[in-house]
This record gives sequence, structure tokens and C-alpha cells, in this order.
Amino acid sequence: MLSHVTLRLTPIRATLVLAILLIVGSLWMSDFLQSQASNWIIFGLLGVSLVFVWGKAGIFSFGQGAFFGIGGYVYGIASINLVAVTNETVSAVVLATLGAAVAAGLLGYFIFYGKVGDVYVGVVTLASTLVLFTFMSSTASPVYHVGDALLGGYNGMAGIPPLTVGWPGGSPVALTIWQTLAILVALAALVLCVLYALLARPFGYIVSAIRDNEQRTQLLGYDIRLRKLVVFMIGGAIAGLAGALYAAWSMFISPTVFGLQQAALVVIWVLVGGRASIAGAFFGVVFVEGLSTLLGSGGGNATPIVLGVVLILVVLLLPQGTVPALQSWLRPRTASSTPVEAPAAEPGGAVDPRMPPGLSAGSSANGSLRVDGLLKRFGGLTAVHDVSISFAERGVHCLIGPNGAGKSTFFNLLAGRFSPTSGQILFAGRDMTRAEPHTRARAGMGIKLQIASIFPGHSVHENVWLSAYAKLHSRAAAEARATEIIDWLGLGPQRHVLAGELSHGQKQWLEIGMVCATEPGIVLLDEPTAGMTRTETARTAALISSLGRYANVIVVEHDMAFVRQLNVPVTVFHQGSVFASGRLEELQQDERVLNIYLGRHGGQRA
Amino acid sequence: MEHVSVGWLLNIGVSMALSIAILALVSLGLAVMFGMMGIINLAHGEFLMCGAYVTLSLTRIDVPLWLAIPLAGLAVGVLGYGVERLLIRFLYGRLADSMLATWGLSLIMAQLTVLAFGPSTQGIPTPLGSLSIDGYSFSRYAFVIIVCAMLLMALVYLMFTRTSYGVMARAAVQNPAMAAAVGINPRKLNALNFAFGAALAGWAGALLAPMVGVMPSMGEAYIARAFMTVVVGGPGIITGTASASLLLGGIENVVSYLSTPFFGQGALLIVAIIAVRLLPTGISGRWQRQL
Repeated sequence: MLSHVTLRLTPIRATLVLAILLIVGSLWMSDFLQSQASNWIIFGLLGVSLVFVWGKAGIFSFGQGAFFGIGGYVYGIASINLVAVTNETVSAVVLATLGAAVAAGLLGYFIFYGKVGDVYVGVVTLASTLVLFTFMSSTASPVYHVGDALLGGYNGMAGIPPLTVGWPGGSPVALTIWQTLAILVALAALVLCVLYALLARPFGYIVSAIRDNEQRTQLLGYDIRLRKLVVFMIGGAIAGLAGALYAAWSMFISPTVFGLQQAALVVIWVLVGGRASIAGAFFGVVFVEGLSTLLGSGGGNATPIVLGVVLILVVLLLPQGTVPALQSWLRPRTASSTPVEAPAAEPGGAVDPRMPPGLSAGSSANGSLRVDGLLKRFGGLTAVHDVSISFAERGVHCLIGPNGAGKSTFFNLLAGRFSPTSGQILFAGRDMTRAEPHTRARAGMGIKLQIASIFPGHSVHENVWLSAYAKLHSRAAAEARATEIIDWLGLGPQRHVLAGELSHGQKQWLEIGMVCATEPGIVLLDEPTAGMTRTETARTAALISSLGRYANVIVVEHDMAFVRQLNVPVTVFHQGSVFASGRLEELQQDERVLNIYLGRHGGQRA
Repeated sequence: MEHVSVGWLLNIGVSMALSIAILALVSLGLAVMFGMMGIINLAHGEFLMCGAYVTLSLTRIDVPLWLAIPLAGLAVGVLGYGVERLLIRFLYGRLADSMLATWGLSLIMAQLTVLAFGPSTQGIPTPLGSLSIDGYSFSRYAFVIIVCAMLLMALVYLMFTRTSYGVMARAAVQNPAMAAAVGINPRKLNALNFAFGAALAGWAGALLAPMVGVMPSMGEAYIARAFMTVVVGGPGIITGTASASLLLGGIENVVSYLSTPFFGQGALLIVAIIAVRLLPTGISGRWQRQL
């Protein structure tokens, strides 16, 4: 090597280099090939919009074709009406992009704020696209026009101006084929760089956290509905931009862009290229469109059949897509995905006596929780019956009770997973009765569910970082906090291990650490020791006791040995109501409590 | 404004009942697959189209229409069984992938039909003629469709409540592990569920064939509305399909009557999206019922 300075090849640099090479290289291409390449760049952008929405954020959208079509039609209408005045069509491209983003915003609002399930998102987006097909197909009558632009029904809108630059009063300059290609490549490179930069920012981490574990992201205090809506709108804008460029390139747009086959094509490109690979989208387009062109000249009508077969084969054989499959196949075997096999932590190791990082004795967080007349009915069953209870600002408190006593329902009412039939939940003086989970988290309610809810596809460090960032909104501060908390948990050696590869107990501790990272005033824990070994349980008890010195902690628990270890006030639930409270030793002397645990009441059982 | 008369009321009533019945017909098979297996079958429209082509082919060789229609459903059911064995069974638990694979299947089926029958529209003459009441003319076949939609709903109900297959299938959906533990073979049930859903699609296509044009892309015309009906209806197969068909079919019909079918389609889309916002698990999602 001549140079000692090694330039790291980041995705942004690679994109820029490839774009320049392509623009320069295309000077030697034939007009036909330049035009073909322009088409592929446009389709590649459409594919990228799906990769961003589906592969990166996990939103199952089949509606990218709809936003592409909307972009195309808006460009058509705007450019036909404007070009005579402004002598350019760039403003029409901008309008089309905005129009598609607004359409995505409207549809996305109903989908994400309605909390529509994953499958439904796919079905609703696809069905909306197909309805647009029927809709636009029935506009053949000249009655349907916007200004000078005839919608044209099934035959489509003709006479759309190509990309033109100019200014009002000047003379319009239509771009040559090569100039068009160069501008398209530059635009595509710009979109890619913006996406790469966005994904490398906290926004990108949060989006990937949503894909990994939606519920946990919300419990950390992130508004996932808003993030998904923003992602969906960005995806819609990119698809709309592609649609506008397509209408300008072909000088024509018809309702077939809303058809089932066009919608399928987008998915096929992305699947072939790899659903999470932005660059792969372009590869998928070139591969599939190249194949279609080849078949179009030879096999004729067989193209849809081949596309269908490709779709089925990729789903069955290469669910990750061809590009990632090739990458993992080409990668040397020595560099496996988990580079360092960290030694397992001593499960019984001593707990750091220091206070949990972020929670200080003088912390301003107010952890008082008051519940008034809380009632929850499921059909005819009253699971929680008129519970009024309040918890002071600091210290650990246990909720126990036999199976079916209503303690889990009570926990879920506090956590916001169920909405109460009546009653009130006040946290630090604020009404939280019907607040969204992320609102509760932001107010300072930290929630740990029974089954460890972590981000299995992220490293331990990233897990805690995401939690800390929810509170601190600073990358550097979140880094520092994450490092401290992982040390406090004793998970230092596992810092860079994927959270999904941790042992059962380690996952539970990680989740406790994640909850702590948000500086909660109150921590709600649902059966934190379920399934743990004796030594793991002891360590968990030590962690929770340490936490209780700085925050209010409520533990719903089954395991009496663990409750005894904690040695804290206990409330017994029975038949949906508070049955008794006190120290465990006192309660164990209480005949009534023994009766409900042993099922001796009223002589109903032997 | 037309004056209110018996014929006028009947005309509106029949037209609305027909819209609702068609929506229920084309959605029922999709709802069975979704409610029982959690699978969204994107080739549903093509199964429907197959039913229409089987009916067309059988009537061409002089099989009476009233025999051809039931046979078409059975034939598509057999096809569905084969599709489940060859493709779907590899994709359980991979929801997105099962949608994609059936999408690929739909492209293949539509194009194979183009190659075999040509892209043009072919028709089966509508039987039974029409009758005239109070100056309004009614197609007798419209009444057949309305009655058949109700009969097929009843058939689904009886299948799932009165046959051992149905009782086992519902058990397998409610608790797969327990169902397997008491000796129910979930694989066999899945194949039967898929075949039953396909057969329902086939019957829908067969029944519609004499009323609409038979062409390779006919599935596409119904699939968007069928999806919306299933999404709005939710997991309850009969209650969900019936209530969503009533809502969406009724609104589409009223708006089309007052303006044009163009706005009828638009109204259907808007109402469906609003319904999804208000009832994300569908109309039947809160009823905690399977049927």
C-alpha cells in the first residue's frame, strides 16, 4: 500500500463513488441503455422506499405502488398545468413528492393510531392500492380533468412533459437522455445518503428497536405510533418522488401502476435484493427487470409466471434475499457473527453495593402511586374489584396472592396494557388511568414484564443505550449511562453479546437495568424471578433491594422464598381485592391468609 | 325524485341485498382461511377465477349449470388441498412469507389462465330470465345469488359446529398444543381448512360467472373488497363476514345509487379505513367468538 491513511468505506462514501462512476461511465453508453438505466434507477428508488419501511422499520406495507402512482399522477397534473407558466417541471416533482407524503400520512394515521396489527397493515395498504386502481380506471370520461390535465381512465394520462429546467419568462430546456440519467443518479444518491445518515442517528436506532420489540420500545417511553408514521411518510415521499420521475421519464402514467402485478413487482425486487438491504433494491430491480426483458423478447407471455416462480422460490429458499445470502456465503468462515465468546458471568456474583446509576438519593423523581376504586371486568368476570391502595415514595413492596387473585390484572392495569372499567390511577399526582404506555414511561413509571422483554437482535450495550437515550436525549450521556448500568448489573463481559443470546437470568437482569436507565420514580416488576435458579433469585433480590433505596418498587410475586429474602411489606390479593397487608411473618400467622392459600375456606374442599 | 312505490322499494332492497350477498360470497373463503389459520391468501381472487372457468368449461360441454356450479367448488377445493400440501405447509408461522408465496401463486395462476383461455372476456348466459313487479324488472338469478350466499354461510356454520372436522379445527385454533395432545393432527386439519376455504372461493366464482364476464383478471376485481371485508369483519368467520358485508356492501350500494359507482368504491375504502381506526381487531374482534 502506498498510502498509510486508510479511508473507511462507509455506505455514504460507497454510494457517492458509485454514483460518480455511473454518471461518468454512462457517457459511453448507448441512448437505449441510458434510458433503460434511468428506468432502473427510478424503480430502484421505489424498491428503496419499501426496504426502508419494511426491512428497516418492520412495517408490512404493500402500498408503495399507491404512493408511486399518486406521485406520478400529481406530477402529470401539476406539470401539464404549470409548465406553460413556469417553463420548468421541477416544482411538479416537489409537489408530487409532498402529495405522496401527505397521502401516506393520512393512511398511516389511521393504521398506526388505530394500532392495526401487522397482517392488517399489509392487507389494508394493498387493498387501498387496488381500490385506487378501480378508482382511476373509471375516469375515462372527459368530465374527469384537473385544469388542462385529462385523467384518461384506463388508458392513462398522456402528454406529460419530461423533466424540464427553466424559469418563468425564460425558455424551457428539456434535458437530454444523458442529462436525465445523470440527474436521476444524483437524486437517487442523495436519497440513499439521507437514508443512511438517518439510520445512523438515534432515530434510526429507535426505528430498528421498534422492529426488534415494539412493546419494549413503547415501555421505554418512545411514541412508536409517531415514529412509524414518520417512517411511513418518508417511505411514501420516496415512492412519490420515484413516481413523479417515472411519469416524467415515460411522459405517461396509467392506472396499471396501482395494479396487483405492479405491487407484486416492488415486493419481488426487494425480496430478491434482500428486504433489509438498501443497495440490494437496485440489484433486485436490475436482476428482475433484466430477466423480464430477456423473457419479453423470447418467452413472451411467460414473464408473470417466471416472476411468480421467483417470488415463491425466494420465499422458500432464500428468505433473507440473494445479496445477504451471497454476502454470508462469501464471508470467510473465521469471521463469525459473534466474534468474541465472552465468559459467562458468575450468576451468584456479589451485587455492586453502589446505588443504581442514574438513580440518586436526591433524585427529583417522585414515585408516589395512588389507586382509587380500581375495577376491571372481562365480560361477566370481575378480575379486579374496587381496589384502593397507595404506595409511598420509596421502598420495595410486594403483591402476592393465589392464582386468579387478580394481581396480574392489577399489574397490567398499572402498566397500561388493560384499560380499567372504572377507578383512577394517580402517579406523582398525575392522572395515568388511561394514559398510553409511553406516556406512563415518560412520567417515570418503569415497567418490567414477566417474560423478559428486551431487544434480542441488539447487543446488551445497545439495549441499555436505547433505554438511557429515551430519558437523556443525548448520545454521549446515554453511552456513559449504559456503560455504568451494565457494570452495575455485572454484565460487563457480555456487553457486546446479542441480548437474545443471554441466559434466562441475564435477560431478566438486563431488563431491570433497562428500566433503571430511564430514571423511573416507580418500578413495576411482574414475577421477576419466574424460572430462575436459586442463586439467580438471590442475586435478583439483591438488585431489587438496592433499587428500592432510591425508587418506589412494586413486585408482583409468586415465590414465597424470594418474598422472604426481600423482607419488605406485603399486600395479599384475593378474589380481585386487597385481602390483607403487613410483614410476611405476621401474615403467615394469619389464619385467614393461610385459608385462602390452602383453599380451606368454607369447607368447599377437603 | 322518483315516487315511492312497492316496486321502487323492492328495487332498492334487492340491489342492496345483492351487493351485500356478493361481498359476503367473495369474502367467506378468505375469512375461513384467516379465521382458522391466520393466513391471508393473496391467491384468493385466482381461486375464485378458477371456479368461474371450471363452470364455463363444464357448461361448454353441456353439463347443466346447476350441476356445474357445485362441481366447480369441489374442483377448486381439490386444487386448494394440493396447494396447501405443496406450498403453504412450509410457511406456517411465517405470516408475511405465506402472503408473499400466495401472491406469487396468484401471478402464476392468472397468467396460466391467459395462456389456456386467452385474455378476452367470455360469458355464460344468465339463466332464469327476469320478472317484472310494479314496472320494475328483476333478474331471477339475483335472488339465487342472495339465497346461495345465505346457504353457504349456513354451510360454514354447520361444518364448524356439526362435523368432527369442524369441532377439531376450532379446537386446534384455540389451543394447538392441547389439540395435538388429545390426538388431533393439526397438519391434516390445516390442509382441510385450506381446501374448504378454496372451495368457498370456487363456489363464489362459479355463482358469479353467469352474472359477470369470465376473464383471467376477474379475481382482481373482487379481491380488494374481499380483503377489506375480512379486515373490517375481524376473526369471527360468519359474524365478522356478515356484519362487515352489511356495513361495506350497504354503504357502497347507497353511495353508488346516489351518485356513481366511482364514488361508491371511494366510500367503501374510506369507511373501511375509518372502521379499522376505530375497531383495529375488526367488528367481531371484541366478541371473542370464532364463528
